[in-house]
Formats: sequence, structure tokens, C-alpha cells
Amino acid sequence: MLNALKLICLFILATVFHWAFASLFVRWGFSVNIILVFVTAFCALLKEPLAYSMAFLCGLFLDFFSTKLFGNNAFTFTVCACLVCNIVDRFDFDELFPQMVAVFGLSWLAGLLNTVLVAVFADSSAWPGFWSILGGAILNALFAPLVFWMIRKVAGNSSLRRQG
Amino acid sequence: MQGIAHKKKLYTPIDSWKRRWLLPGSFLLLSFLLMILPLEGFISSLKAVLSYIFIPQVRVSHSVVQYGQGVSNTVQELLRAHYENQQLKQEIETAQLLSAQATEVFAENQRLTQLLKLPFSHPWRGVWAKVAYREPTRWNTVILDKGTADGIKERSAVIAVENGQEGLAGVVVEATESTSKVLLVRDEEFSAAVRLENGDEGLLVGNGPRPVQIKYIPLLAQVNKGDKVYTSLSSSVFPAGILVGEVNETYEGENFQTALTVNITPQVRASAVKEVFVILEDGIKR
Repeated sequence: MLNALKLICLFILATVFHWAFASLFVRWGFSVNIILVFVTAFCALLKEPLAYSMAFLCGLFLDFFSTKLFGNNAFTFTVCACLVCNIVDRFDFDELFPQMVAVFGLSWLAGLLNTVLVAVFADSSAWPGFWSILGGAILNALFAPLVFWMIRKVAGNSSLRRQG
Repeated sequence: MQGIAHKKKLYTPIDSWKRRWLLPGSFLLLSFLLMILPLEGFISSLKAVLSYIFIPQVRVSHSVVQYGQGVSNTVQELLRAHYENQQLKQEIETAQLLSAQATEVFAENQRLTQLLKLPFSHPWRGVWAKVAYREPTRWNTVILDKGTADGIKERSAVIAVENGQEGLAGVVVEATESTSKVLLVRDEEFSAAVRLENGDEGLLVGNGPRPVQIKYIPLLAQVNKGDKVYTSLSSSVFPAGILVGEVNETYEGENFQTALTVNITPQVRASAVKEVFVILEDGIKR
């Protein structure tokens, strides 16, 4: 029960932060994707089934507001979750640098994949622009340590955490 | 033990692969299906269901963002108010300084206006000068803004006006081209031959912080409180007839009771010496 509450709390934190930062940085034209940072941290710190589920749910949350296509963010986040879950053993995500590099790379991947999916399935353009993606990726990377720290604090040493 | 061994046997590499990829594969398949389905019908129903889950969070997020923006605005307003406060403080300081200057100028203007209205009837010729500053180390001397270039010399008599009445202020003791130093009546080194209203003469001496005195007045002289004191004709420095002050107190001096000592109140207080009239040497005899 406590674990379920923690997961709900983490999901709410992710959505609130995403909404807040997206609203804040959109005026400068940066496509900040804080919820992707949360997804990366979920995959690096939580058990795999929980990480996949949270990633899918976070993607659905973003799709909920999309008018062009439904499911593209869920697909993108699931792909990102697969990547992180498969490289997590080879990187030390307790260090800041791997956290930031992973988030920076995934921001680019998510941006590109999303654009391709929208172009293919909705016959539309979702490319926010190179500088917007770059600025967003840098900001995502800068926020990564904070997000990882928050998830560690909320999850604690519970059974939610990935072993080993 | 057998049960455990039996269970272990169940996890073949294929089973492990299935366990690992079943969940993400399902999610990928589901999201792919959601993408290819049209936005109407099922998808809109799904969105409606999701709205029950997500709308409260969106509201919370929106409230948080609005609260944050409110905090940001408040902080900006506080910073602006702080900046304005600093500016206003500076303006107040400047205004206070200007006000003090204006008060001083106003007072000077009043004094000069009063001087202009005075019907001076003295026969001396001289120059008007302003007190530039006081000697900090010797409070009973003042520096004037005029000097030898204007005809002022050492031992020139200096008079000033207080309460519409002119009176002796002091004597020039040093003069440069553009400034001159005046020893005021109250200074301990100041002395002048003076005459009382009744004709008796004495020596006026400054006494620092204590009352100005007239010494060596004949013991039997009739001196009353309020009698006027003028400079004497026998003075080698001051022209005769300048009002010095009035008698305040009379008592027998310490000179074996052979003479009276009189305390006087100077006509011009040291603090009232602002604009002065310096009598030029060649103007005395006119």
C-alpha cells in the first residue's frame, strides 16, 4: 500500500514538475521535457516492470494533451525505457555525469522519434526546431541530478528499488 | 529442495527473454495500436476515461505554476520596491541637503535685507565681507572672504549687525590678499579702550567663555546696569563711538578695591557674526 502511494506520489511529482517547467521555459522557446527525466530516473532506479509501467503512463499523460496523434509519447517513452533498462547495469547512475549524459541523449532520441511518429502516422510536423531541442536537452540534463535525488528520497530503500 | 530445483529448471533462457520483453513489448504494441486508431470513437472514449485520472493533476500543476508565478511577481515587486526605496532615500537625502542649504540662504537673505534697510549713519568707510569659516582650533576667530586686495589691513576694526543694531565684532589680526582673520570681542587676547555712557573710560578685555569685562573703571564711578558702552576716542585701533554692548553687572575688582570691574553683554554675539563691515584705515578720519 505504501509503495503504491509512493508510486502515485512520484507520478504526481513528475506531472507537476513537467507542467511547471514546460510553462516556464516555453516563453524562451525551449522544449523542456522534465517528465522524460523522471522516466529515465524511474528506469535507472526502480524495478523494471514498475519502470516500464511508469514510462507508459507518463507517455499517456503527454498524449492526453496531444491533438495530432494519440500514443506517440507512450511509444517513445517505452522505447526510452527499454534503452535505459538495458544499459543501466553498464553505467553508474549514482554519479551525476552519467545521469546528465543519459538524459541529454534520450532528449534527442525522444524528440526525433516523436517527430518521425507524428510525421508518419499523422502526416504532420512536430519538429520544434534544432535550438529548441538542444536548449531543452541541456536543461533536462541540468535538472537530472535533482530529479534522481528526489526519486531516491521518495522511493527510499523500499522494494520499489532496483536490486544490485 | 526438489521443489526449488524443479522451479529453477522452469527458467530457461527463452523464458527469461520472454519475461524481460513481454511487458515493454505489450506497451509498445498497445501504443502502436493507439497510434494507428482514428482519434474519434475509441480513442476519444479512452481520453475521457484518462481525464478522470489526469485532470486533478493538471489542476494541481496549474495551481502550482500559478502560485509560482505569483511568488515570482511578488519577488519582482519586492525587488522593485526595494530599488525604489533606495532611490527615494537618496532623493530624500538630497532634498534634506537642499533644504538645509535653502534655510541657510534664506537666513542670509533675511540678514542682508535687514542690512539694506538699515539707515547707517556712521562716518566710516569700509567694505562688507562674509564670514568664510571659523578657525576650528580657535573658536573666537573667524576668517573673512576679503583681504588686502579689498583694502583690509591688520588692526582694521570690524563691526557687525544683530537685531538691527550695529556693534563691535572684533579686529583684523591677519590679512592675506583674499582673506583676513578677525579676532572676536570675546577672545581672551582681545582688548580695547572703551567709554561708558557717563564718560568714564576703562579697558575692555575678552574673557573666553566667561563674560566680557571692562576693567580699571574708577571706584566711585556711577555705573548702572543697562548703560551703553562705546569705543573710546583714546583707542589707537578703533574709531570712537562704535557700540560695544551694555553693562550687565558691576563689582569691585581684585585690584585692591581701587577700581571697578564691569561685566558687559556684547551687542553682537559671536554666533551672530555672519556678514561684517570692515572699517578701512583711511576711512576712519573721514
